[in-house]
Amino acid sequence: MLKTRLNLAVIAVFLAVSSVSAAAPASQKNDLPKPDFAGFEAKDMPYDKGEAVLLTWPAGAADVPGALYQVYAAGADGVWVKADEFPADSRFAADFDLPFWAWKHDSTLHAMQVELPSFFKDFKTGQEYGFKLKYVNGKTSAESAEVKAVAAANMFNLARLNNLVLLVVTIIVFFWTVSHAKRKGLFIRRIAGLDAIDEAIGRATEMGRPIFYSTGIGGMSAIPTIASTSILSEVARKVASYDTQLKVPHFDPIVMTVSKEIVKQAYTEAERPDSYRDDINFFVSQDQFSYAASVDGMIHREKPAACFFIGHFMAESLLLAEVGATTGAIQIAGTEQESQLPFFFTSCDYTLIGEELYAAGAYLSKEPMLLSTLKVQDFGKAFVMFAVGAGSLLLLAGTWFNWQPLLKVVGHIFKAY
Amino acid sequence: MTLIKKYIPLAICFLVGLMTLASYYVPNKTSENYLEVMNKWENIVAGFAFLLGLFSLFFSHYNKIRRKVDGWGYSLFVFVGFLVMVVPALMSHGKQMDGTSLTGLGWGYRFMFNALSGTMFSVLAFYIVSTAYRAFRIKSAQAGVLFAAALVLIIGKVPLGQLMWDKLLGWTHLGVTQIVQWLMDVPVVAGRRGIMMGLAVGGIVTALKIIFGIERQYMGKD
Repeated sequence: MLKTRLNLAVIAVFLAVSSVSAAAPASQKNDLPKPDFAGFEAKDMPYDKGEAVLLTWPAGAADVPGALYQVYAAGADGVWVKADEFPADSRFAADFDLPFWAWKHDSTLHAMQVELPSFFKDFKTGQEYGFKLKYVNGKTSAESAEVKAVAAANMFNLARLNNLVLLVVTIIVFFWTVSHAKRKGLFIRRIAGLDAIDEAIGRATEMGRPIFYSTGIGGMSAIPTIASTSILSEVARKVASYDTQLKVPHFDPIVMTVSKEIVKQAYTEAERPDSYRDDINFFVSQDQFSYAASVDGMIHREKPAACFFIGHFMAESLLLAEVGATTGAIQIAGTEQESQLPFFFTSCDYTLIGEELYAAGAYLSKEPMLLSTLKVQDFGKAFVMFAVGAGSLLLLAGTWFNWQPLLKVVGHIFKAY
Repeated sequence: MTLIKKYIPLAICFLVGLMTLASYYVPNKTSENYLEVMNKWENIVAGFAFLLGLFSLFFSHYNKIRRKVDGWGYSLFVFVGFLVMVVPALMSHGKQMDGTSLTGLGWGYRFMFNALSGTMFSVLAFYIVSTAYRAFRIKSAQAGVLFAAALVLIIGKVPLGQLMWDKLLGWTHLGVTQIVQWLMDVPVVAGRRGIMMGLAVGGIVTALKIIFGIERQYMGKD
């Protein structure tokens, strides 16, 4: 009897111990922290075109390594779609690539944007969508209540405010210099490449050989091509007054059409409309190397006295300039492609570097209004130099004294968003 | 007449310029659609302009053949080349592949056009040599600096040059690859960025000149 009681007592103790030992880990697991979904919010993503929603919720003790957040979204039909899954210790408001004036970089707040068209084929701006969050850490899980939001199109990208301020300042300086030019003359430094145009045209006249002018392979919407047509206008006027032969082979038919008008007008202004021929401007090819081969052939056969390569050029720059150099022509070149400039430097007599290409039209026309805009370029360059110097000093100071806010402010002001 | 030839084009340019500029700051679907429409219009205009280009090409080469100018025989190839590509293109409905086999257009494109383009591109190698020879003629102090930098780069980029450097100047403990890297990372990048900044400023000012109607040479004078 005693033995039986003893056995029962042992079994009871064993069961009690085993139940306690089994209960301990379970209660420990249930004690794992869960995220605070009370602050879970969904709202329109700012500064976008109206296709994204911003989800935010407070970070907390539950954001441990190994834990995950799952994001679900539902449209009007109420079908939940898994939009994203990511580690719980990631995606904070502080990680957003937006400037300090447009976004609060809060490291205590989770933030993520959901691009709705990626999940809903029938997405429409202005339609309401539901969102919920699920937290998973091993066997522990929690789910938020559903929140709703509407993605709306925004009217202004506040992140680009720095760019807009710079633009407004540039426009103010632009008009100030234009009005200043009317009152007072401006000193403009000499540009050797442009002063040599007269020499090149004079040489062509003396030798009785043609002048080749290439506007490059850019379209009419490219700024270098527009700058090139301005220079073509001045060259054509001088060519007309000297009664020399001009040939303008084209890569782009639209540029050809515009150039025809420009050259015709230049001949009229030079009082030589009878010397104008419609085949001064002609289309060659819209293929890069076919264009180069054709123009090379013409230069080789006709041995021009001068060649102008001004505009947008790529690999054909050397093909054209080198053939021109072997014929002994005076060559003047200019391009915005800095990778092609070395080829022009070595093959041409004069090269327009950097902003000289854009200044050329104004420099040659000698019109006060156009000349004044060269001053804007100078102010712009002075501003860039000042900004580079000041920005470098501030970053250096911020790094030296470990002032993170200063580094952040300077970094954001000088960044393009 | 002045209204049609001057004021209306300037007004269109001003409005379109401002709207395109504004679309950079307005992240709205409307501004995105506007840019798409503009691109479509550009393509439509380019399509019509291409016809003009084609007529210009045929006209100028026809005149060369008619007047028997020097090299008029080359002009014949413009018409021959046009027919050789266009006739197969019409026959194959503009397709380069028919299943797994090449159509006449595909064959012409791959075995004629690509081969000729490749040939033109490869000519660059010879031109680079001749232009490098011209650049390396030291006629001034600047040309001397250019030559020295280029020489170091050439030595640093070829294994034989690296071997020579190590044998002759190994005692300096300066690796030629580090010098090359420094040249590429510091003076070259500084120069390029200087040019790029100047170009960017020039580009902005040119764009403003066109938008506000100060630069009008692209549409002829008044």
